Amino acid sequence: MGIRILSHISIVMILSPLLLGIIGKTKAFFAGRWGPPLLQPYYDIKKLFNKGNVYSTTTTWIFQAAPIVSMSAVLVSSVFIPLGGLKAPLPFWGDIVLFAGLYALARFFTIIAALDTGSSFEGMGASREAAFSCLAEIVLFLDFIILALLSKKFILSEMIGRNFFSWQLFGPALLLVGVSFFLVLLTENARIPVDDPATHLELTMIHEVMVLDHSGWDLAYILYGSAVKLLVLGALFVNILIPFHDLSVINQTIIFWGAMILLAMSIGIVESCMARLRLNRIPQLLTGAFVLALVGLLIILVKGV
Amino acid sequence: MAAAIFLIPQDRFKKIILLLTSSGHLLATVSLWPMPRDIQFNSFLGFDALSQLILNLISILFFVVSIYLISYLKEKRRRSNRIFIGCLLCLLAAMTLVTMSRHMGLLWIAIAATTLLSAPLINYYRTPQSIEAAWKYLLISSLGIALGLLGTLFLAISAISIKTVFLGDILNNATVLSPSWLKLSIIFLLVGYGTKMGLAPMHTWKPDAYGEAPSPVGALMSGALTGCAFLAVFRVAQICFHAHLQRFVMPIFILLGILSLGISAVFILGQKDFKRMLGYSSVEHMGILVLGIGLGGGGIWASLFHMVNNAFAKGLIFLVSGNLNQIFRTKRIENIQGVIHRFPITGICLIIGFLVITGFPPFGIFYSELLILKEAIMTRQYMVVLFYLLFLSVIFFGYARIVLNMALGQPKEGHHHGIKEENFFMVMPLIILLLVLFFSGIFVPGPLYSLIDDASALLEGM
Amino acid sequence: MWLELALVLIILPGIIILGNNRLGTIIQLFALQSLVLSTIPLLIHPGIHAFVMAVATVILKVFLMPAMLFWAIRHVSIRREVQPLIGYGKTLILGGLLIGVAFLISSKLDLPDKEISNLLIPSAFSIVMIGFLLLVSRFKAITQVIGYLIMENGIFLFALLLLEKTPLLVEMGILLDIFVAVLVMGIIINHINQEFGSASTINLKNLKD
Repeated sequence: MGIRILSHISIVMILSPLLLGIIGKTKAFFAGRWGPPLLQPYYDIKKLFNKGNVYSTTTTWIFQAAPIVSMSAVLVSSVFIPLGGLKAPLPFWGDIVLFAGLYALARFFTIIAALDTGSSFEGMGASREAAFSCLAEIVLFLDFIILALLSKKFILSEMIGRNFFSWQLFGPALLLVGVSFFLVLLTENARIPVDDPATHLELTMIHEVMVLDHSGWDLAYILYGSAVKLLVLGALFVNILIPFHDLSVINQTIIFWGAMILLAMSIGIVESCMARLRLNRIPQLLTGAFVLALVGLLIILVKGV
Repeated sequence: MAAAIFLIPQDRFKKIILLLTSSGHLLATVSLWPMPRDIQFNSFLGFDALSQLILNLISILFFVVSIYLISYLKEKRRRSNRIFIGCLLCLLAAMTLVTMSRHMGLLWIAIAATTLLSAPLINYYRTPQSIEAAWKYLLISSLGIALGLLGTLFLAISAISIKTVFLGDILNNATVLSPSWLKLSIIFLLVGYGTKMGLAPMHTWKPDAYGEAPSPVGALMSGALTGCAFLAVFRVAQICFHAHLQRFVMPIFILLGILSLGISAVFILGQKDFKRMLGYSSVEHMGILVLGIGLGGGGIWASLFHMVNNAFAKGLIFLVSGNLNQIFRTKRIENIQGVIHRFPITGICLIIGFLVITGFPPFGIFYSELLILKEAIMTRQYMVVLFYLLFLSVIFFGYARIVLNMALGQPKEGHHHGIKEENFFMVMPLIILLLVLFFSGIFVPGPLYSLIDDASALLEGM
Repeated sequence: MWLELALVLIILPGIIILGNNRLGTIIQLFALQSLVLSTIPLLIHPGIHAFVMAVATVILKVFLMPAMLFWAIRHVSIRREVQPLIGYGKTLILGGLLIGVAFLISSKLDLPDKEISNLLIPSAFSIVMIGFLLLVSRFKAITQVIGYLIMENGIFLFALLLLEKTPLLVEMGILLDIFVAVLVMGIIINHINQEFGSASTINLKNLKD
């Protein structure tokens, strides 16, 4: 049991920065450049670990604890989802709530660490992040409810594992869940069109600004944490959309990781093709995602599932 | 007959073509008089008593208006008449099609066509106000028609066991229609076609459209188009009554009627624009029409009688307003005074028109309103009686205040930018309409009487 | 299953339009919606009747009408909408509520053809509601026209329930009517534009009592 958990977590840790690298490469490709190497995030993390930290005098222990807390929360959440051929090592009834709660914990600590610095700059980012996450959380839960209704189970890994024919039965609802969950994915990971991970301008930062004051291995943890978050939520997304738990383990692994690479590439494509939305349009985007999920719910209720 | 009216408008001799066509139409309509009431051409087209009644209205009104247009268009030489006259002719064809439809889908198409064709007519002068009026009219009417289409579809769904929406079939088999779908369809049809009629609360386009359209167009719209819309509503009532849903639909009619009366009463009081006032008057009369149907029994006969008289009276008064517009170049009431002194015929027609519209004896509208009152008392709906009398008196008061001053007051000097005296074509249509009103209201000839009897028999006795 | 997927793909652009403010995008989304709509007759009752309807819908609603609408806004220099009556976010929520109401209403009716799909009538109702919401809550004339057209799309879905029972002539007549309606609307929009300098109906408020 312990071995399974450890191997699960280590796979997540090893492979997650690769996703960030793929996104970077895709964006570079669309911009007509070669871009940084695929393993660049690994080098970044390694570099950051070797650097020293600088702490502002206004901060307290929260500031130092936050990166570790958020990273570990995200890592713990990864044990609830299946990765390709690997079953989730620790499923239990109602683990969805814990899943969402862990992300809330991570977010909470990031926000109060930002507030801890005493700078209005970070406070602004914190308030934005809090607002958007509220809306995204609703959509996330609505999606979970739909999935629970569809699969009649309340365990995360079994909710998203079905046989191959479920698209035929639940196609339209799944489509809507997929679209709205994709929007939640973009919001949670601070991707365009919700937030621009490359910008450092006051007007446009949400996530970046909260972590502006971290340095050294704190920053490394944060970078790593965002990579793991991307992997976990992306895995969830892929599992929702592609029902493949009837196939053999090898096939599942191949399809899963192939889909993850595709997902990373599509995020890169979205980032290259769109600009970030104006701040007051983001709640509207999330409201739209909410309405989509709502319609999905209505469809399921009508069809009497 | 409808196909024969589809002429291609040419650049010259437009008015002559118009006159010829309208006379031809009138002759064709008159030729129907000796023929039996129910004629069936094919399954889609045919007449019954009500169709013939309304067709006569349309025909006579159009003929009179086309005479009026001879001088009116000469006055307004600013724009090419091609679209105007083309739309007018096509409108005539569409209205004829409405009266002849025996298929609910075809009825819808015809009414939608009338909406689309009348919108450019409103916009004839291309002033900002008329564009606004045309846009509101188009949008609200299109919305109403879309709902009407939905209602027609629901009707078809409710008739799925008999697989048809031909009027005759539906009426014969009305009892096998699925009730929930039928009720839904009736609501949508009433809202949709009621918008076209101008019933409150779907009336908001009326004052704007009638206020900004050229007066002959206003005459046509308030006389003939409302007749067509009323025909559609009547068909809905027919279906209801045959399906024994009277209890369901009659209160709705009464409510719509009283609401229209009330709203028009409120808005007529403060009016400053003569033609907008006429728009609200149209709302009022439409309200009376559906009120009559909602009361049932003798009220149905009264409604039909009212519709006939109202059409000609509206025609009269709109043409009068056209004359006033040409003389005074304004629609504001405060600028028009003392018509009767310089332009006697117009002035007299203004006063007579006012008397007719507000239901003064001995004109026909008085009789029909009295009949409706009697029906309301007999069916013991005293609240209806109360509101009815109240609103009618308020409307009369509002009118009197406005019109009497316009007609009889001291003429203002130096306000005549327009025509100095009445010419033949301005006045002739008024006199024709006066004659027609005399015959339709005061001294009703036997055939007309029996035609209305037959038409109301479509609903009575159910 | 394909039918239901198509139905959802029809509602989806409707919701996106509710939250969108670019005129060009709205017209394109409408064209997309009509394209998916035109495949539905073929999914329900495949046959020559359905094929004709599908082709007619594609020609009219996917090509001609958007082209006309683009022509109508050609002279409008600003291609964006102003704030709707109640703001974008509230419009979206209201749209969601109306869709819920639509589903509620249709569950109370006894459906004539259950074997087609449980989802047809609710989605038809919801599209009519979305179109209606668009019509009354927006200020730009073009968006109002698109709202009307979306309502017609929803009504078309209803008509599909009766596909084989309605004479083709009547359905063609309906399509023709809608086409002419859009034509007339486009012309009047042009007049509005010429007169007021912008195709926004905010300026149309002079006529009142």
